[in-house]
Amino acid sequence: MFRNWMRRLAAVAALSLVATGMVVVAACGGDDDDDTNGNGSVTPAATLGKLTILDPWVRTTTNDVSAAYFTVKNSGLDDTLISAKTSVTTNVQLHEVVTEGGTSKMQEKAGGFPVPANGELALKPGGYHVMLMDLKSPLKEGDQVELELTFKSAGTVKLSAPVKPGAAMSPGLGSGSPTATPK
Amino acid sequence: MRVSLRTLAPVAALGVVAIALVVALVAAGLAVLGGDDEAQTTYMGALISRPVDMPDATLTDQNGEPFDLKADTAGFVTLLYVGYTHCPDICPTHLYNMSEALKRLPKDVSSKVKVILVTADPERDTPERMKEYVETFREDFIGLTGTREETDAFQETLGVNVASRTDLGGGNYTVNHAAYVIAFTKEQVAYTVYPAGMGLTEWLNDIPLLVKKGFKP
Repeated sequence: MFRNWMRRLAAVAALSLVATGMVVVAACGGDDDDDTNGNGSVTPAATLGKLTILDPWVRTTTNDVSAAYFTVKNSGLDDTLISAKTSVTTNVQLHEVVTEGGTSKMQEKAGGFPVPANGELALKPGGYHVMLMDLKSPLKEGDQVELELTFKSAGTVKLSAPVKPGAAMSPGLGSGSPTATPK
Repeated sequence: MRVSLRTLAPVAALGVVAIALVVALVAAGLAVLGGDDEAQTTYMGALISRPVDMPDATLTDQNGEPFDLKADTAGFVTLLYVGYTHCPDICPTHLYNMSEALKRLPKDVSSKVKVILVTADPERDTPERMKEYVETFREDFIGLTGTREETDAFQETLGVNVASRTDLGGGNYTVNHAAYVIAFTKEQVAYTVYPAGMGLTEWLNDIPLLVKKGFKP
């Protein structure tokens, strides 16, 4: 009884102070146990000085838009991913997802993606991604996409990314914000 | 005991909401400490501040046929998402996660669930485009489109922010839209939503609850 009442209070409290749209209150904790950018024994896709690129993948598509994801581990000083090129299109942008008031939008990340010193940059759904537009043809599972990443300090590295329909498991998106976590 | 509470900060970006959340979380925290034996406390989805009714609307499905949202989802749990096929990131992530969850769940659960993508980009998303898109995730997923007026009105009725566009140059644009899946019970009322960040874990937990327990108002 008490519990029900308190729960109702929780809902009412959120409702009563909110002017428009939907506002949500977390019911129970979703753990971040489904993070796929894991620390398991993954073979690096590429290395460049103090940078290691892990788990690259590109999403399957039925039209001319897709996204590329990967993790950059950095055992050196601060760096920045400033551009990307691919074998499948020349129209590439570094995008972030910004969520405001329940609406999400993608936009170009000015200045590129930071790669913190002794930390990592993770591109993953709901956060940072390399936006691929004007694809010459749709990407099918099993295809490989060549990526060329340019970092401000470290320079340029090439790697190959498989095309997949999604991350292997539920992507651990946390709050849905991009991550650039110093370790 | 699963008690960790998480605010959905990306959704509640308004200043005034922060106060509401603090109040709500204190109350919710007390509620959860009380136990874990009822349907509501075992949901992992985010509780909506007020329940949402399935809109009374008819759109066009991926086969070009009329789809009456109320009549054609009656008796099913409906996971509804407003998105678009040229979405490279959040939309396919949600659709992929739902397809993976349904693949893993027993048929007596998965057969009671309809997944619907309603486009917020009707100019590009014809029934043909919707068909090739939604059916790559799962053959029984439903893709709905309509005129711009119809799809905007649908979002209005649903109570989400109506989508807008951001120009990316060269004729490309992205669509800014509500980025959470709305879960309707068999009674066609939604109590929980699933923002980006919730995935397979949450679906594997909540879909069976939605199908078997529903939600006590």
